[in-house]
Amino acid sequence: MDFESKYEISSTVDFIRRRNFTRVALQFPDELLKDSPRVAMVLRSELGKDVRLYVMADAAYGSCCVDEIGASHVNAECVVHYGHACMSPFDGDKLSFSTSTLPAMFVFGKASIDVKDCVQSLIQCLSSSNKSIMVMFGLECAHALEDLKAKVSESLILGQSHPSLKVVYAEVAGLVIDPYVDSTKEIDQVTSHSNSMSDAGFNVNEDERKIFQFSNRNKTESGTSYCLGGLTWNVPDRKIEDYLLFWIGPDNAAFNNVMLTFNNCEIIACEFSWFSSVRYDTDKRCLLKDLPNQQRILRRRYYLVEKAKDANIVGILVGTLGVAGYLHIIEQMKELIKRAGKKSYTLVMGRPNPAKLANFPECDVFVYVSCAQTALLDCKEFLAPVITPFEAVLAFSRGRQWTGEYVVNFQDLIASNIVEEVECAEEARFSFIKGGYMEDSHPQENGKEHDGSSLALTTITEKALSLQHQNPDSILFKGNARSGSEFFAARSYQGLNMQYENPAPPSYVMGRTGRAAAYVDEKRQAEGSPGVVD
Amino acid sequence: MVKFTAEELRRIMDLKHNIRNMSVIAHVDHGKSTLTDSLVAAAGIIAQEVAGDVRMTDTRADEAERGITIKSTGISLYYEMTDESLKNFKGERAGNEYLINLIDSPGHVDFSSEVTAALRITDGALVVVDCVEGVCVQTETVLRQALGERIRPVLTVNKMDRCFLELQVDGEEAYQTFSRVIENANVIMATYEDPLLGDVQVYPEKGTVAFSAGLHGWAFTLTNFAKMYATKFGVDESKMMERLWGENFFDPATKKWTTKNSGSPSCKRGFVQFCYEPIKQIIATCMNDQKDKLWPMLQKLGVTMKSDEKELIGKALMKRVMQTWLPASTALLEMMIFHLPSPSKAQRYRVENLYEGPLDDIYANAIRNCDPEGPLMLYVSKMIPASDKGRFFAFGRVFSGRVSTGMKVRIMGPNYVPGQKKDLYVKSVQRTVIWMGKKQESVEDVPCGNTVAMVGLDQYITKNATLTNEKEVDAHPIRAMKFSVSPVVRVAVQCKLASDLPKLVEGLKRLAKSDPMVVCTIEESGEHIVAGAGELHLEICLKDLQEDFMGGAEIIVSDPVVSFRETVLEKSCRTVMSKSPNKHNRLYMEARPMEEGLAEAIDDGRIGPRDDPKVRSKILSEEFGWDKDLAKKIWCFGPETTGPNMVVDMCKGVQYLNEIKDSVVAGFQWASKEGALAEENMRAICFEVCDVVLHADAIHRGGGQVIPTARRVIYAAQLTAKPRLLEPVYLVEIQAPEQALGGIYGVLNQKRGHVFEEMQRPGTPLYNIKAYLPVIESFGFSSTLRAATSGQAFPQCVFDHWDMMSSDPLEPASQAGQLVADIRKRKGLKEQMTPLSEFEDKL
Repeated sequence: MDFESKYEISSTVDFIRRRNFTRVALQFPDELLKDSPRVAMVLRSELGKDVRLYVMADAAYGSCCVDEIGASHVNAECVVHYGHACMSPFDGDKLSFSTSTLPAMFVFGKASIDVKDCVQSLIQCLSSSNKSIMVMFGLECAHALEDLKAKVSESLILGQSHPSLKVVYAEVAGLVIDPYVDSTKEIDQVTSHSNSMSDAGFNVNEDERKIFQFSNRNKTESGTSYCLGGLTWNVPDRKIEDYLLFWIGPDNAAFNNVMLTFNNCEIIACEFSWFSSVRYDTDKRCLLKDLPNQQRILRRRYYLVEKAKDANIVGILVGTLGVAGYLHIIEQMKELIKRAGKKSYTLVMGRPNPAKLANFPECDVFVYVSCAQTALLDCKEFLAPVITPFEAVLAFSRGRQWTGEYVVNFQDLIASNIVEEVECAEEARFSFIKGGYMEDSHPQENGKEHDGSSLALTTITEKALSLQHQNPDSILFKGNARSGSEFFAARSYQGLNMQYENPAPPSYVMGRTGRAAAYVDEKRQAEGSPGVVD
Repeated sequence: MVKFTAEELRRIMDLKHNIRNMSVIAHVDHGKSTLTDSLVAAAGIIAQEVAGDVRMTDTRADEAERGITIKSTGISLYYEMTDESLKNFKGERAGNEYLINLIDSPGHVDFSSEVTAALRITDGALVVVDCVEGVCVQTETVLRQALGERIRPVLTVNKMDRCFLELQVDGEEAYQTFSRVIENANVIMATYEDPLLGDVQVYPEKGTVAFSAGLHGWAFTLTNFAKMYATKFGVDESKMMERLWGENFFDPATKKWTTKNSGSPSCKRGFVQFCYEPIKQIIATCMNDQKDKLWPMLQKLGVTMKSDEKELIGKALMKRVMQTWLPASTALLEMMIFHLPSPSKAQRYRVENLYEGPLDDIYANAIRNCDPEGPLMLYVSKMIPASDKGRFFAFGRVFSGRVSTGMKVRIMGPNYVPGQKKDLYVKSVQRTVIWMGKKQESVEDVPCGNTVAMVGLDQYITKNATLTNEKEVDAHPIRAMKFSVSPVVRVAVQCKLASDLPKLVEGLKRLAKSDPMVVCTIEESGEHIVAGAGELHLEICLKDLQEDFMGGAEIIVSDPVVSFRETVLEKSCRTVMSKSPNKHNRLYMEARPMEEGLAEAIDDGRIGPRDDPKVRSKILSEEFGWDKDLAKKIWCFGPETTGPNMVVDMCKGVQYLNEIKDSVVAGFQWASKEGALAEENMRAICFEVCDVVLHADAIHRGGGQVIPTARRVIYAAQLTAKPRLLEPVYLVEIQAPEQALGGIYGVLNQKRGHVFEEMQRPGTPLYNIKAYLPVIESFGFSSTLRAATSGQAFPQCVFDHWDMMSSDPLEPASQAGQLVADIRKRKGLKEQMTPLSEFEDKL
């Protein structure tokens, strides 16, 4: 596939020209960074000297989100986002906590796909499963959709078709997000352009532009329309559970989200699910049934929720500074955690990695507030589990049970009332991690402690005294600390140690020189003997 | 028909000297439940005629069906003793009425935890031993447990009827058998010499051993006979008793007692002459229907039969005659009342074992004095499913104070730490209940020294708890029970219909409550796990789960899974090093196997994180050959800060080392829980921190840098030290006749087991075989064995130790390698182990 079409140079140029942008940020994910000079060069030659182009990479959070902060460092007027995108709605006027919002255009790239082979598998699925098929795809495969549609209908007519069975297609929600301009008009224009410019166009239905809406599920007269990860589709007159999901594209976060959201078979029984999804892998060109994997992920998430229930200290990781409503959800999380009688700390650390999280060993669990596609972090290297806001709601509201639904977008959580009281029988909480009842301290009791009454001092003293009873080991390593300060108090190292064994100061020694990978003096030693270096 | 009312029972509950709390313990099939029946019958709850067949205490359908006891069942009995029988009683008493709180316990090893729970709330134990089979493995286990809890034992040699009817052994042979049984039991008890408990061995001549036939409802102690003969010989009872046991011979021809068999044919041992022979004679007469001979004999013994009973013939007649002559209840009750302690006596010395707090506070004193006016101290030892589905009675023992209906109590759970609010609830008792046979009676309150069941606390107690008055904030809990078995066999359960998940969750919660041993947890992969002591135990648990606790919803149960341990064979072949993510810090470590026995010492709590460093260093240097100074440099134990692995600091003169200690420990806790091979717990590995290079800025050597690095270097050290898998191994004891031995050996061989002891029971054709059997091979072992020996061999398996698998798990083709791959697959890990190069960094 040729370069110009892959990066949609002409439509990009058109987008920039049409709006007279003069400072444009080009945001690349790591895997496409190598092409960035060429893209920038081509664009520059097309756009001329008046437009300044900036290449941005290594976004602070997921590369799927538009890096607004990065763009505003260069005072860019718009962002062209390349590669895989989560298309999370970012802060518009609805919840304007951030001051700048930028128009953005998305270029997904074009994955090579063997349409013929794909169609064949699809038809085969249709005949074997006896279910209508909902075709969904990774955004990078969107370019082949028209072709696919045509070929499928062709072969359906040719082959013996099942009259009751249909093939329904998801659509790309839009290529441009612009908070300032009336979005409907703009997208239409761009769409028409992309239709004409690229080999396969996008058919964006007027009714289905739901991307800026908070809920990903809307009832309309014609059925239920959904919107997830930049795809939007309409399910006429039937439930989505009646369809077989046919996913075209790689096994990535977008696919996982689709899988989790529409897991409608519940978490445990895998054989009995009457809803299955089939994946067509564009690289391997083969069909994959993904049920076991889906069940495994769900079960694992279920475990993490159970584990989170036992946590005393929760770290809220801010994983986005752009996605709409993130401040709102953080506030809600804080409230939720407080009501559950736990302590929360809010941490802003960019993209989390094991080393960063291990700097907070006092946190028993982290809630990661981020765009839907970076939200699922399950790396065994993390010291404490990282869960999504939805899972936090499950874990921290008493009496709430997992009914099988799964919400990946936290926007949908805001809409539903998180802190709604669930009626539950009065019973201590049973922890499956510990295999017994575990009582969390009651939030009311915590509240009382803040009363500035004369008893406050007594309680504090009592607490301090009781601290000594508890073995520091159980605070440090078994998650028994109730707050960060309690954890710090239990640490064995409390700062500078004044009792030196030898009161005389040691003699002055020469330090090391060189790089940490191998200091100058070590190089020689390492060559000689690989033994211990002191 | 019931001879007593709840009011009567309640009245005696206040007479703390007239209460006996006792459990009946024994090996499986030695006749506990049957014997218990006789006692229950004497209290009038069931008819005398059916005693021995009803098995009153086997309340569950499956218990009746299988003929084994599964749950321990409590029953409160009331007896009125005669003045005559109490005239020799020296202890304190108030009147002649006695309350016996009796708990029948299961004999199968898989249910030992029920025994533990029963022992906690009783003060005495009736140890039942089959006179033919003798002291078996489970007899030994429960005896040890009883003595560990400071429970005073008395013994009954049961199934006497077998001697007379089945085996027809002669007097001297029978005596030898009995005395061997008693001696065997005494050997075990002697090892538990406890100055506070005094001599716990049992002696027939002191009346602490009874001889019984549970099935026929008769029993005697030497007291019975001594009383009978004392007048005849004109000596006092105690003198007579001594003559009836041991090396005392009587020759009716010369009417002389000797301490040696004089050799004359008429000279016989006292026991044989005066106890065994008369019984034998009566039984023989009855069985042969020689009624003309029988009646005069009975008259001589002072036994009168009702006229309709005289019509009976054969076995029924024999049973009736023996029951009338030597009623089991009288002999056993007398033994219990005379020789088992009352609560007030027992709590005096048990308080040390029971109470966790300081032994001089008011709670300890109240327990010590069994003070009904003191603060409430109550230990809930188990939860009993109530008839309304899903609810449980909390069953336990009041050690001091009294518990009453409507009372607000402070519930201290097993994780409660004094002064904190964790695992602590204040709730009110809705109802207090006492157990009378199969039905429960509500009472207003229950004073100390008694067992009690409470309604309304089940939503706060998982398995056990200490209860005290609402206001008693300073009370410490009563010590948790220590079980002799551990839940080594695990299965994953899931519901067939996904929508049943809430039912499953609720069901597992209830299952966890209903059994003291079962553990319901969740795996990292999100599977629900049920763990039990053995195959039978799990089978019963799963049946309960599905039928009783989930209302019949279908569940899918995985094949049994065994957890393994990871260890090392040798010292690491080199010092391994890992660098922190920022490359500025380096940890150097080596792993080595612990000295033999050290891991077990840690398991037993002889060595642990809370030791006095001096004591620890003494044990380590004297028993395990450690350097004295090194013993002081143990940083931590793990996993869970108490496990059998440790980190030792071997560094010399490293700056800032203290600063990273907590981080290294955190990394170690993590790594030792999930080893490098298959993420199983590590065991018996000692990690030595050899050297550390740290960045000069504190910010660059924080937890984030050191914790992941410590984990990596520990894995690297493990992998370079010839890692091995440990598998759990059962100790199997099998009793079988000689002809079955071939089959037993065959099955054991096929299952990778090996026999290490084979012994013929003296005086019987039975062999005792002790063998080790890997737990993983034990599934279906019982049934295979039964099939191979045509039902003659019945194994008892109990977890014994961890055994190293000799093959190299790093070799994918080896047996251990295969196992590792299977475990990893099950856990949803990458099937390939992470290679050493991922953990170890080079300079």
